Amino acid sequence: MQETLQTLVGGLSLGAVYALVAMGFSLVYRTMGLVNFAHADIAMIGAYAASTFYLTYKLPFAVAMVVAIAVTAAIGLVIERVLRPLENKDFDLMLIGTIGFGIVLQAVAILIWGTTGRAVRSPVPAAPLDVFGVRVRTYDLLVMAVAALAVLGLAWFLARTKRGAAMQAVAMDHEAATAVGIDVGRSNALAFSIGAGLAALAGGLVGPMLYVDASLGGALGIKGFAAAMLGGFGSIPGAVVGGLAIGVLDSYAAGHFQGYSVLVTFLVFTAAIMIRPMGVFGERTVSRA
Amino acid sequence: MTRSSTPRPRTGTRATTRRTAVCTAAALAVALTACSAPGESDDDTKASSGPIKVAVVNAQSGQLSSLGDWEYKGAKLAVDEWNEKGGVDGRKIQLKLFDDQGDPTTGTNIARRLVSDKYVAMIGTAESAVTIAMGPVLQQAKIPNITSGQSDGLVALKSPYLFLNGPTSTTYDSTLAQHLVKDKGYKKIAMITNNGSFGKGEHDAFLKAVKDLGVTPSTDQVVTTDQKEFSAALTKIRSTKPEVIFIGSEEVEAGLIVKQARDLGITAPFAGAAPQGTPVFIDTAGKAAVEGTIVSSPYLSNDVSAASKKFAAAYQDAYGKEAELHGAKAYDGANILLTALKTSNGASGQELADAIRDTRYKGLLGDFQYDESGVGITKTTIGVIRDGELVPQQ
Repeated sequence: MQETLQTLVGGLSLGAVYALVAMGFSLVYRTMGLVNFAHADIAMIGAYAASTFYLTYKLPFAVAMVVAIAVTAAIGLVIERVLRPLENKDFDLMLIGTIGFGIVLQAVAILIWGTTGRAVRSPVPAAPLDVFGVRVRTYDLLVMAVAALAVLGLAWFLARTKRGAAMQAVAMDHEAATAVGIDVGRSNALAFSIGAGLAALAGGLVGPMLYVDASLGGALGIKGFAAAMLGGFGSIPGAVVGGLAIGVLDSYAAGHFQGYSVLVTFLVFTAAIMIRPMGVFGERTVSRA
Repeated sequence: MTRSSTPRPRTGTRATTRRTAVCTAAALAVALTACSAPGESDDDTKASSGPIKVAVVNAQSGQLSSLGDWEYKGAKLAVDEWNEKGGVDGRKIQLKLFDDQGDPTTGTNIARRLVSDKYVAMIGTAESAVTIAMGPVLQQAKIPNITSGQSDGLVALKSPYLFLNGPTSTTYDSTLAQHLVKDKGYKKIAMITNNGSFGKGEHDAFLKAVKDLGVTPSTDQVVTTDQKEFSAALTKIRSTKPEVIFIGSEEVEAGLIVKQARDLGITAPFAGAAPQGTPVFIDTAGKAAVEGTIVSSPYLSNDVSAASKKFAAAYQDAYGKEAELHGAKAYDGANILLTALKTSNGASGQELADAIRDTRYKGLLGDFQYDESGVGITKTTIGVIRDGELVPQQ
């Protein structure tokens, strides 16, 4: 029982990070119909940026995170601007373009920060809480709280603000949106930069839990992508559910199947996708892509 | 050069000069080769002038890039020192770095390239799986390879062209098992290893070593190489209340395991081989978490001998960073290769491999003397991490 609960707690904390990554994937996808394959590497840059401002420039962790989010949001804008001429013209090239950006970002990270990564000390020094024999890291609680706030913030933005509503409109029908005077390019740019900001949030938060190096993107990207698919690509609540589900599934698979855990995780994932190809919260029709 | 430079004046008509031109070109080629500067002849491996081409193959990107970086720095330091002293037989050593990304497929592609580009020898890789994949190609082309891998699978390859620059997992782990069971008297030993080629090698070697000493591990947990969350495995380990936990995993993952173990309230010390003595492991887990970690290593610190102090100082000068085991191993390996090149007067192929096998070398890791299996050193010492530093066991 204790083991089951402990595994759940461990899975949820990483699951919250996967959920943030999945949200970024989904936001760009629902707006542009594009999977941004550079997303995970933007998260890695975000992790590096946050750790640099936190460790090297000795900024408070929260401030370092905000700066890192601003930096990556700017990178998101650049990527969108470079790819914009391809919008509605050659979709495949646009997709490959994002893959290319991912490779470039990894190379840039190695150029700036070198091949050896860095360990980030936890900004919450308090000892783990002991809840009936289950140990809960205080930092994990912070991560889950921040992730929850990000979800609520994004939902509020999309539903309650004019910009957000415009993005929803573009997501539904970009031609009709253009017809009613919405600037599709600006809407896409906004989606890209918010997506990049979410990636930085995930990367920055995961830094003290893991180890920051140029391959961090790979670790977050595949699980985050799977989470987005499981929840339904393009759906924000789906991304959250998918992220937590992948985190917990991964954690239990590790406990029961040891060396074969990755195999089991993705077999279960494949089965789930076969039963429900649109994901848990996905729309029935597969959109533009 | 400017675009307006006049073309070479031609003599005679085009039709009649074709044959002459071919002849002239051929004659010119011969003449050029004969008087070309050293280094410009790419004739064959037997070239007795020009630089000696040595390849370093190591991961410079991907998860194992820090390992590859240390190895390259160590090897380069040795080669630079030799070149400064005039090289081998008056010939410079030309070192070229290839990035294998820690990936066996990329590795075999590089191996083919080394063959076609006529490299005399190869240093690396740091990942046993990659070296094993490259082995057959290099063996066929008779290119000696000094690897930094330590898996027993390297020995199983039985290639006469493959040499290890350190001990195998069996040596690391039997020394460690001896210490834990005999010296410390531990009876409850838990194991956590990953299922990669290094972790699997560690798992098999340590399990055999403790079983030979009559101890069965209290639990044997296997994790994957890219796992990030170890609650399940560690909770199981905690429930068996071990006196010590053997860890067989690379630097970063091992660091995460130890960090998470402490968060779960596990206080037993960890024990492991080479990766557990590195700064990356200590940084990832945190200084307090690794206190008391027992490490089996052929190179405990930069302060063990006069030679290691000199090496560490040169390393610090060249790279501004502190030297560690992997750099020292690669430094030894490169020195053995260069010594063999010297004694064999810049030979290659079989002759060079034999020269390496005949080399007796007093290195940073100890006294090297290669046997038929390609292992040159079979001794490690036990160290303990105190205040974030690896120090010899008292």
